[in-house]
Amino acid sequence: MSNTIKNIRTRLGLFLAVMGPGVVTAFADNDAGGIATYAAAGAKYGYGLLFTVLISSVCLAIAQEISARTGAVTGRGLSDLIRELFGVKWTFFAMIVLLIANIGTTASEFSGVATSFEIFGVSKFISVPIMALLVWWLVLKGNYSRIEKIFFMLCATFLSYIVSGIIINPPWEQVLLASVTPTFASDGEFLMMAIGVIGTTITPWGQFYIQAAVVDKGITVKDYRYVFWDVMLGAFFTWLIAFFIIVTTAATLYANQISIETVKDAAMALEPLAGKYASMLFSFGLLGASMLAAFILPLSTAYAVCEAFGFESGVSKTSKEAPVFFGIFTVLIVLGAGIALWPDLSLYKVMLASQVINGVLLPPILIFMVLIANNVSVMGKYKNSNWYNVVSWTFTIVLIILTLLLLLSTIAPELMDSLMKLIGL
Amino acid sequence: MNEFKILGEFYFCQLLGRPIYDKRGRNIGKLRDMAVRWDGVYPQIVGIQYANKTHELIPIDQIESCSYKEVRLKENFEIEKTITLHESDIYISRWLLDKQIIDLKGSKIVRVNDITLSWIMQENLQRMVLVAVDIGVRGLFRRLGLEFLFKNYKNNLLGWQYIKPLENWNSSLQLNHEKQQLSELHPADMADLMEEMDYKRRANFIDHLDDQQAIDALAEMDLDSQVEIIEQMDEQRASDLLEEMAPDEAADILVELTVEKSEGLLKLMELDDAQDVRELMQYPEDTAGALMTTEFIAFSADLTPEEVINQLRELAPEAETIYYLYVIDQAEHLQGVLSLRELIVASPSARLRELMHTKLVTVQPNDDHQRVAEVINKYGLLAVPVVDEQGIILGIVTVDDIIDILIPDRGKLDTYSWFALSKWGGRGRS
Repeated sequence: MSNTIKNIRTRLGLFLAVMGPGVVTAFADNDAGGIATYAAAGAKYGYGLLFTVLISSVCLAIAQEISARTGAVTGRGLSDLIRELFGVKWTFFAMIVLLIANIGTTASEFSGVATSFEIFGVSKFISVPIMALLVWWLVLKGNYSRIEKIFFMLCATFLSYIVSGIIINPPWEQVLLASVTPTFASDGEFLMMAIGVIGTTITPWGQFYIQAAVVDKGITVKDYRYVFWDVMLGAFFTWLIAFFIIVTTAATLYANQISIETVKDAAMALEPLAGKYASMLFSFGLLGASMLAAFILPLSTAYAVCEAFGFESGVSKTSKEAPVFFGIFTVLIVLGAGIALWPDLSLYKVMLASQVINGVLLPPILIFMVLIANNVSVMGKYKNSNWYNVVSWTFTIVLIILTLLLLLSTIAPELMDSLMKLIGL
Repeated sequence: MNEFKILGEFYFCQLLGRPIYDKRGRNIGKLRDMAVRWDGVYPQIVGIQYANKTHELIPIDQIESCSYKEVRLKENFEIEKTITLHESDIYISRWLLDKQIIDLKGSKIVRVNDITLSWIMQENLQRMVLVAVDIGVRGLFRRLGLEFLFKNYKNNLLGWQYIKPLENWNSSLQLNHEKQQLSELHPADMADLMEEMDYKRRANFIDHLDDQQAIDALAEMDLDSQVEIIEQMDEQRASDLLEEMAPDEAADILVELTVEKSEGLLKLMELDDAQDVRELMQYPEDTAGALMTTEFIAFSADLTPEEVINQLRELAPEAETIYYLYVIDQAEHLQGVLSLRELIVASPSARLRELMHTKLVTVQPNDDHQRVAEVINKYGLLAVPVVDEQGIILGIVTVDDIIDILIPDRGKLDTYSWFALSKWGGRGRS
């Protein structure tokens, strides 16, 4: 008996070991903020945002591919290359962007932790400080590889959205049609939701992370084709989960005119599968995803900043040897947990807002990436192909326009309306 | 006595972008970059690039005055007076600024935030030389125009003699200089540096090391890094290094490679070296057989201490440890052991047979590392012999081979984490 279990565990371990940076990043990408955003999108707009999800998944594949390829060709991280090619001032700008986005995302992860514990009636004032301390301690002093695997397994519960989606059996024809039909509305809320969906699918930190992971694994240009498929598979997974969360929430919440007040409501979409255990299932998944991202986000941010400015870094160093590294790591956790604990702030709003911030801050990072990937002296014959550039520039520009429209609709809604009338929308 | 006068000292970054005026006050352009030539002790500035996309340079002796406000030339500017970039000259901003370099003093990789220049007058000749690189926080914020925030900080300047740029540099003069500098580094420091480099720079770096330096540095790395480096290396060089390495280390690396690759490398190695390694590769991971080295020292029981000491002088450089001397018969059966101390204090005319301990502590090739560690610990040994069922000595496991397994570096633990970034974006896999 125990032998069989051991056997299964070894096999699973082997499978996971083969999995590369692409798939791992994709899993970490579907974090608390991701779940919240997709669920909100499905509950509020039904199948309306399926098209946005499809497009942003395609762009995710392209963006991740660019980062992974750059990492494999150069053997160097993104902030390293930004520093060498664009100098101190641009690097400083890029790092500020990354820091703001990641503080937001860390806050959203701790909000996810808080929510998952609240489902079991544990106050966030107990759960968040404990989990924050746990993350801080395990990363710096302990060994988090084992506990990380537990959280990773918990993430797999999100696969239950797929099962739930199949049980619900929505009008598939309509769903598939919606997936390929562009939908657009000019009101601020829709724009915000669209940017949020994009921002949670493609994150600034994800780009830094995957490139570093490729470098870290010692993948060079000759192994690159494996990474390519790994990245594609990862993007597919991201899309698959997002697609089913939207489909299930649309079929259960949107169809019954239930609006999401807290993330917990997203668990209702799992009821066709799990019945009264739905919220439990949901809370496990949310905890796993949130903790997983809470482990790597502050760490990867600290690494990226230190790399850019040449500060000492590494968890094996002491805080005296690498004060900036430890400082950034600690500050990120403290700020992230602090925002999640802010008394009158809705956890759900924190999660959504952080994804919108990610979306808004993504274009500058994308621009750096594309410029680097087009630099012949860095990339040699592996530089971006032309159609790639067309797609990535188009996407970047569309995202910038969306951001500007969001800004406009927030500060001057009337102006926005007349603008939209002008172009006939 | 040489006449030596300092005309000015500058931070390169604050000169960048300053306008250049000629004698009649005409604006020629901006200081875009400076070309440097390194043929003496200090790299010297040869000229100023005054416009983008031109390789015509204003010669450095044309400078009348130089300040953070402007650069003034002695004469009127004419395109004929410019010089062209020599092939061994290098633009400092493109070559050094914001780049990573090796800090030979601290044995680590650092980033250049700024460069200090000294403008001197020597024997009526004006020269501008690179003095140091700024690797500190203050330099970083100077670039951002926020130096005042760090007024109380000392500048972290690294003298020119202590740096080694990572970018390719083709002057042979400098290469010799580098080789000498690098040989002064401890192999463990060199290993750390190499682990921090990206794979291209690392390959370039290893190319500049001689075989012994490369092997010493490799021996200080963890297995993952060793495997990565050997995998990425040119096959001929890799096989040369493996040949020279301790056979147990070579075997450890080779078993991690694909069969195809390791066979390819073994075929390139000398036959008897390859044979040793192949034998070690047969043992399963973490057993005494896989841990042991075949380079131990053994003598016949009939020798005298004096003869042994003479032989030791020849054998010692090859062997992993010489503190234990094993005594074997014709068929390599282990008969006894004695320590170097016992050998030295023994009467020169005695026979090893009389000196050796015959109560032997040994392990079998299939014992796991736990058992080996227990034996070494219990008897307080520096090394334990590995013998087969017939009592033939196969090799020895030294205490440091065991320590590597029992006490992994903390950094190494992280590599078992899927999400770990032990080496973020090219930084050290510590």
